[in-house]
Amino acid sequence: MHIECTINGNERSFEVSKSDLLLDVLRQNGYTGAKRGCDTGACGMCTVQIDGEPTMSCITPVVKADGATIETVEGLGTQDDLHPVQQAFVDNSALQCGFCIPGMIMRSKALLEENPSPSEAEVREALSDNLCRCTGYKKIVEAVLEASERMGEQTVAADGGYSCRCEDTGLEVDSRGETDR
Amino acid sequence: MSNENDPKPDGGTASHPEQDVTEFEDHPLEWDEPENNNLAPDERASVSQSAEKDDDPKLVTGQAKYTADYEKKFPDLAHAAVVRSDVPHGRVANIDTNDAEEMDGVHAVLTPWSDETPDAKYTSAGQSYPEPSPWDMNVLNEHVRYIGDPVAAIAADDAETARAAADAIEVEYEENDYVLDPEEAYSEDAPQIFGDDEVENKIVGHDYSRNRMSQIEGEIGDVDGAVDRDDVHVHETEWETIRQSHAQIEKHTTLAYTDEDDRHVLVTSTQVPNHTRRQLAHLFDIPIRDIRVSKPRVGGGFGGKQAMVVEPIPLALALAADRPVIYEATREEEFAGMRSRHPMKVRARTAVTDDGSIEAIDLYALSNTGAYGSHGMTVAGNVGSKPMPLYSKVPNARFKADIVHTNTPQTGAMRGYGAPQGTLALEGHLDEVARDLDLDPIEFRKRHYMEVGDLDEIAGMMGGEGAERRIRSCGLDECIERGMDAIGWGDIDQPDEEHRHRGIGMALSAQGTGVAGDELGAAQLMMNEDGSFHLHVGGVDIGTGADTAFIQIAAEVLGCPETDIVIKSSDTDVTPFDYGAYASSTTYISGMAVKKAAEDAKERILHWGSKLLEEPEANLETGDGEVYSEETGESVSLEEIGYEAAYGHDEREHILGKGTHCTEESPPPFAAQFADVTVDEETGEFEVNKLVVAVDCGVAINPGMAEGQVEGANHMSYEMAVSEGITFDDDGRSEVTSFGDYDWPTASETPTIESILVETHEPTGPFGAKSVAEVPTNTVPPALSNAIRETVGVRITDMPITPEKIRAALEDDE
Repeated sequence: MHIECTINGNERSFEVSKSDLLLDVLRQNGYTGAKRGCDTGACGMCTVQIDGEPTMSCITPVVKADGATIETVEGLGTQDDLHPVQQAFVDNSALQCGFCIPGMIMRSKALLEENPSPSEAEVREALSDNLCRCTGYKKIVEAVLEASERMGEQTVAADGGYSCRCEDTGLEVDSRGETDR
Repeated sequence: MSNENDPKPDGGTASHPEQDVTEFEDHPLEWDEPENNNLAPDERASVSQSAEKDDDPKLVTGQAKYTADYEKKFPDLAHAAVVRSDVPHGRVANIDTNDAEEMDGVHAVLTPWSDETPDAKYTSAGQSYPEPSPWDMNVLNEHVRYIGDPVAAIAADDAETARAAADAIEVEYEENDYVLDPEEAYSEDAPQIFGDDEVENKIVGHDYSRNRMSQIEGEIGDVDGAVDRDDVHVHETEWETIRQSHAQIEKHTTLAYTDEDDRHVLVTSTQVPNHTRRQLAHLFDIPIRDIRVSKPRVGGGFGGKQAMVVEPIPLALALAADRPVIYEATREEEFAGMRSRHPMKVRARTAVTDDGSIEAIDLYALSNTGAYGSHGMTVAGNVGSKPMPLYSKVPNARFKADIVHTNTPQTGAMRGYGAPQGTLALEGHLDEVARDLDLDPIEFRKRHYMEVGDLDEIAGMMGGEGAERRIRSCGLDECIERGMDAIGWGDIDQPDEEHRHRGIGMALSAQGTGVAGDELGAAQLMMNEDGSFHLHVGGVDIGTGADTAFIQIAAEVLGCPETDIVIKSSDTDVTPFDYGAYASSTTYISGMAVKKAAEDAKERILHWGSKLLEEPEANLETGDGEVYSEETGESVSLEEIGYEAAYGHDEREHILGKGTHCTEESPPPFAAQFADVTVDEETGEFEVNKLVVAVDCGVAINPGMAEGQVEGANHMSYEMAVSEGITFDDDGRSEVTSFGDYDWPTASETPTIESILVETHEPTGPFGAKSVAEVPTNTVPPALSNAIRETVGVRITDMPITPEKIRAALEDDE
């Protein structure tokens, strides 16, 4: 079957089987930022946003994406111009191996869109569907709280409300990051 | 290679047998440390800065490549699936692969008898050569020893087809009796898991008639004599630890192919590229030069990838299918078929005088190594050789371990490497002794623990003569002091409710930094004409930030910005040799190799600087991207030097630096752990209010990354204290098959962990650094057990600590 959706601001269409899962389709089409951790929706490595909602793509039938707006980590900042959530993770030494981080960042971004000033307990609760084996969560929680502060400041400065940079970065997905320098 | 290995049971402090013992028998306290290795904080430009992790930008944008992310580069890539044993112990009587072979899209089906399946024995342990682990494994097995043992493998167009083909293979087993409990396995009449002829490279103390793969023992002084004295109290306690899973979030994944030069390439998620290359050469009878092992980004290791766990299967399939093959384990396989921490029972015994002088420490461990013996002897050795030396002033010490097989999945290296099991026993035990003798638990420890200048003989007690080490840095006093402050020792409020109580427990720990006398790291540095550098290093960054630490070390020497150094690490075709990421060695061993390489390059840079500035080299120094004269203040940029060296008229040179490092040293880092807990005496429910862990890691090359290591390790340690780990049903089938079954503490279930870095200067390490990432893995189980004992008076000795166990113990007390 044929589905159409918007991924990171780009109109995309795919030939898929009804039983295909969104994570597989994303990864086969170059969106490899979303990671495969468990295939059972138990670890959050594959988290993307569908119409704003943080969603485990490994258990989401791709048909649910038909007509939807999907945001993946590739749609946030670039390496030279990071999104505030990405920047806060970097600045707080909040990542080690990085495998959980695309999912963790999408989850954090979704949290801050819904609740721009979360408490530490709210951050910890929101991140509890996303596992991390390296950090003990402390610096991740600190990064999300700092991102919240920075984005709050941006909102004030812009006087029109913060809007996330979820538009496409303009790169061809298949050309991305073929080297691991 | 059929000789038995020399006993090097500690895997962490043993010396090379061929080394001239007298050479280091008489360690001077003073180390011949170059002046540039000991920089005051204000002299450090790159070291001690929380520099941005080199790979962070690509990691946070999803651009970084892990093994599975290379799939798209191989249009004809086949996917692998593995058929695993369904019985805990038996022999494959018949295997029917016809249906699988006839399926559309199936390219290869391998059984133990296929031509492409290696039939050599090997160990998966990624250790130095010859491995101190028995060669007791086959890639695919006729004799299966646990539910999950690989029997057959398939390569097919996609993962679904491969899985379907695997399911279509029918295996009939001739079932044998099996044994799951290590104590039962050790009895005379237990089912025998290995025939004597089924193991090569046997390890000291093996007795396969009793399922014992190894027995080790070491002693200094006279423990029995001390125990028999009239003026001592003899205390004995027994402890038990869980089978913890590494649960690396990136599963074991390997992509294997043969390139246009007929060389075999493996892109793989590993901690040990060079060991893996050597082991593949052995298994497949291919020269080392024709194998290339390349490590992309790795999604966590924790020891679970200090082993060649899956690599032979995709390589054999790639050879059979004549196309690239990727094998990405399933999460179920990760829990049931890969590696885990050795579960152990550890008995601690001490002889202590009335006034609290410890005359003897005696530890005994029974380790369950599971179906195979990888890392079995060395992990057990570290149960003694890491925690016991902490109390270097105790005159008599003994450690003994039996390592036995059971029909459960095989265990392996895991962060802490035996030290967590030993630390629980020793630190829990000392807490009990202090209570019995009414001594302050901290003062009691302080009387016996190591300090600068001590000659630590306990570390060498199993490693042969001369393996003792001199302690040159020790921040234990400050770790304790700052930890006490942070936790509020002696200054906590009790809850209002009468049935709830609050208290604090503590524990100490020491680890090593690399395997003394059994490590090698190397690096090379190439200067570009614009003054930038390429740093090639064998050291392995598995997510720790090692690449960044290497860059910081090189930048400090070269006096250039970190961004001017491009690193390439862990590709056996390109980067110099390295033993790999384990034993807390990376910063210390590989980092020192980087420092030497940078110093080597710097010598040539100063030569060219001298030429351009017309000043003697002795007057010159590097800094801020320049060579400058300390006499005249004149300077020349690294870019000018780079162009002059590459394109000059009368003389030209590619500025290259090389460094290689090995050492007999393995300085201990130290940790002081504190746990603040509230317990409900009616229900046994408890809440950990806060964990504090203060660590002496020498000079932290990157404090932000070092704190991250401490917090992550402490989280893993907390899991060891409160989670079940992997458990099995009566048939030996893993009850944990998914993250949902494995109860690791989530963000909301993890207490606040406060990490404190206590700086000391370790003269043998690069810029004063020693290790950091393992020692905080050891300490939460004893600190939490001690805190609960302090709070409600009951002692939990078998992990995990649960409300049910606390309630039962409280009821027993009544």
